[in-house]
Amino acid sequence: MRGRRGERRLPPLFVMPHLVVENLTKIYERGKIRALSNVNFSVEKGEFLVLIGLSGSGKSTLLRCINRLVEPTSGRIFLNGVELTKLSPRAMRKVRRRIGMVFQQFNLVKRATVLQNVLAGRLGYNPTLPTLFGRFPKEDVRRAQECLARVGLLDKVYVRADQLSGGQQQRVGIARALMQEPELLLADEPVSALDPATSHSVMQYIEQINKEDGVTVIASLHFLSLARRYGQRIIALKAGEKVFDGKPEEIDDRKFKEIYGEEAEEVEVR
Amino acid sequence: MKLLRPRLLSFAADLFLWAYLLYSGFTLYYLEALWSPWRPEEKLVWPALSPWGWAVVVVGMVEAVLLTRSFGPSLGQRVLGVHLVGEGGRRPTFAQRLAYFGFSHLEILVLGAGVWLNPQNPWHERWAGLRLEPLPPLGSEARRPPWYRTAYGLTALLLIAATLAVGWRLTEVDLQKLVRFAPKSLRIWRGLTNPSFEYLFRPDPRIKLSFLDGLVQSLYMALLATVAGIVVAFPLSFAGARNIAARSPFGWLLYSLTRGFFNVFRAVESVFWASIFAIWVGFGPFAGSMALFIHTIAALGKLFSEQVEHIDPGPVEALTATGANLLQILRYAVVPQVIPQFLAFSLYRWDINLRMATVVALVGGGGIGQLLFEYKDDLQWNLVGGVIILFMVTVWIMDYVSGWVREKIV
Ligand SMILES: Nc1ncnc2c1ncn2[C@@H]1O[C@H](COP(=O)(O)OP(=O)(O)O)[C@@H](O)[C@H]1O
Ligand SMILES: [Mg+2]
Repeated sequence: MRGRRGERRLPPLFVMPHLVVENLTKIYERGKIRALSNVNFSVEKGEFLVLIGLSGSGKSTLLRCINRLVEPTSGRIFLNGVELTKLSPRAMRKVRRRIGMVFQQFNLVKRATVLQNVLAGRLGYNPTLPTLFGRFPKEDVRRAQECLARVGLLDKVYVRADQLSGGQQQRVGIARALMQEPELLLADEPVSALDPATSHSVMQYIEQINKEDGVTVIASLHFLSLARRYGQRIIALKAGEKVFDGKPEEIDDRKFKEIYGEEAEEVEVR
Repeated sequence: MKLLRPRLLSFAADLFLWAYLLYSGFTLYYLEALWSPWRPEEKLVWPALSPWGWAVVVVGMVEAVLLTRSFGPSLGQRVLGVHLVGEGGRRPTFAQRLAYFGFSHLEILVLGAGVWLNPQNPWHERWAGLRLEPLPPLGSEARRPPWYRTAYGLTALLLIAATLAVGWRLTEVDLQKLVRFAPKSLRIWRGLTNPSFEYLFRPDPRIKLSFLDGLVQSLYMALLATVAGIVVAFPLSFAGARNIAARSPFGWLLYSLTRGFFNVFRAVESVFWASIFAIWVGFGPFAGSMALFIHTIAALGKLFSEQVEHIDPGPVEALTATGANLLQILRYAVVPQVIPQFLAFSLYRWDINLRMATVVALVGGGGIGQLLFEYKDDLQWNLVGGVIILFMVTVWIMDYVSGWVREKIV
C-alpha cells in the first residue's frame, strides 16, 4: 500500500480488499431519483468484475461514484484502505491518477491527435504550467508510444482522433487510461457503441491489461454473454439495488429473468 | 402536475392581454379622432373616465377573459399548456362551457378562493363537469382545429394586428412623404454618384486628415479593440459558462456576475461608450478604440461562453477522471473544442468593429467616420460619396477575406 500525506487510513487491523463499497446510496437531486440504494461489495486486487443490469439500473452511477465523478449521497468507498469518500478535492485528484476510466462514447477530444489524447492521461502527474503550453516530459511521450503500441495503434500517432473507427477510438481511450499506470480500471459499457467483432477485440485488450499488469477491472456490460465470457465475477443491479453477486455460471434462467425482467431473452454476441 | 401555477399565470396573462388590447384600441381611437399635430400633446394618454366608466372597463375585461377561457383555450391557457376537458378527456360540450362560464363568475366573486383551496379541481370546474389538464404534446392528438378556428388563434391575430397598427401610428409612418419629398434627396444622390477622391492621399487642409489616413486609423482602431477584447473575453468566457463555472456556490456567484456583466455591457451601445470616453480621454481614435474594446469584451464574452456551454462534456469527464486539474481540463478538453468557433467569432467581430469604428466618430471617436460626418454637416455630398465608396470597398474586401478564412478553420 502506498502512503500519501493527507490520506486517511484505517489501522492495519485487517488486510482490506483492494476496493470496498459500503452502503453506497446515490439520490440525484434533479428528479429525486434513487439511482443506487445501499450497495455493498468488495473487489480483490487483480479481479475482473462485471456489472450488468438494464439501462437505468445504476451501473454508470456506481462506476462514477468510485472515482467521485458523481458525489455519493451516503455510504463509504475504500481503495487500498483509504476512504475515498472523505478525501478533499485535491487529494481525490491525486487518487484519480491511479484510476483509469474507459467510456461508452470514448470521450476523446475529436479535434486533437491520437498522441495528444493519450498524453492527456498523464496530466495529473505533471505540473500545470508546462502542460498548459503543451509540453510533456520526453519520458511521457515515449510512454505514450508504448501504450499505443500495446493497443496496436502505433501507426496512428499523429492522426486526428475523429479520423479513426469506433474500435480504434476506444483503443485510444484504453491507451489514455494505460498512461495513468492505473491500479484500477473502470469501464462504463466500453463496447456498447461497437459492433460484435470489434467488441471482442476491445474487450480482449482490457482483459490483457487485467491479466498481464494485474490491474483490477470493473466493467459494466450490456450483454450477459460478454459478461460471462470476460467476467471472473458478476454483480447485477436492478433499479439501483444489488440483486446478484457471484460467479458467471451461477446465473441460470431464473436469475436471468429476475435481473432482466420476464420478457427478456438471452442473446449471444459472437 | 401542479396546476396552481399555470392557472394563476394563464389568468394573469389573459387579463394582461385584454388590458393591452383595450388600451391599444383606445390609443388608436385617440390618435385617429382626438390627437392632432397642432396640439402637440403626448400620443399615449391615460383615458379620463368616471369611476363608473372604469368599473365598466374592468368588468368588460374580466368578462372577455372568462369568455375566452371558457370557450376554447384562451391565449394564456395555450401558452401555459393547459386546456379544459370533460369526463374521460372528451371535448367539453357547449352546455358545459356555458356552465363553466357562469360558475367562473362565482369563483371571481370569492377572489379565487376555490383555486387556492383545491388547485387540482376547484368547485367551479367540478360543478361544470370539467377539469383543467396539460395540453397533449403536438402531434399526439388525433386532430387539432386549424389556428383560425380557435379562440387563442384569433386572439393572437388580434394582438398582432393591434400591435402593428399602434406601431405604425406611433412611428409616424407616412409613405406619402417618401414620394412627395423625393426630389429633396436628389442633390444627395447626385453627389454620391459623382464621388470626389480629392483628399484620398492629400490631407484635407481643414480637417487635417486624408481619406486613407482615416481609413487606416479606423482599421487599426477596430483591430486593437478586437485583439484586446479577445484577450479579456477569452478567460472570462469560462467564468461565464454554466457547465464550467457554476459547480459550487462561489462558482454560481462568479457565473452570475460574469453573465450579468456581459449582458449589461452588451446592451449599452458603443456610441454611448464613445461619448463617455471622448470626455474621459479626449476626442480622437483612442476614445473610439476604448468604446469598441468595452463592447467587444461583452459581446465576444457572451458568444464565447455560450460556445463553451455547448461543448461535448465527454472529454471533460474523461480528463477529470484522470486527475487533471481545472486549468488542464480547460486547456485539453474545452479549448480544442471551441477554438475554431472562437476564431470565427473574433473575425466576425473585427468586421463589426470596423463598421462601428465609423459610427463612434459621430461622438468624437476619430477615424474615417470623422470625415464622413464632417462632410455631411457641410453638405459636401461628393466627398461623402468618396468616403462611402472607399469604405464600402474596404468592408467588402474584409468580408470576403474573413469569410474565406472562417471557412478554412471551422
Ligand atoms: N445526472 C443525473 N441527474 C438525474 N438523474 C440521473 C442522472 N444520471 C443518471 N440519472 C438517473 O439515475 C438512474 C441510473 O442511471 P445510470 O447510472 O446512468 O444507469 P445505467 O448506466 O445502468 O444505464 C436512471 O434512472 C437515470 O435516469
Ligand atoms: Mg450507463
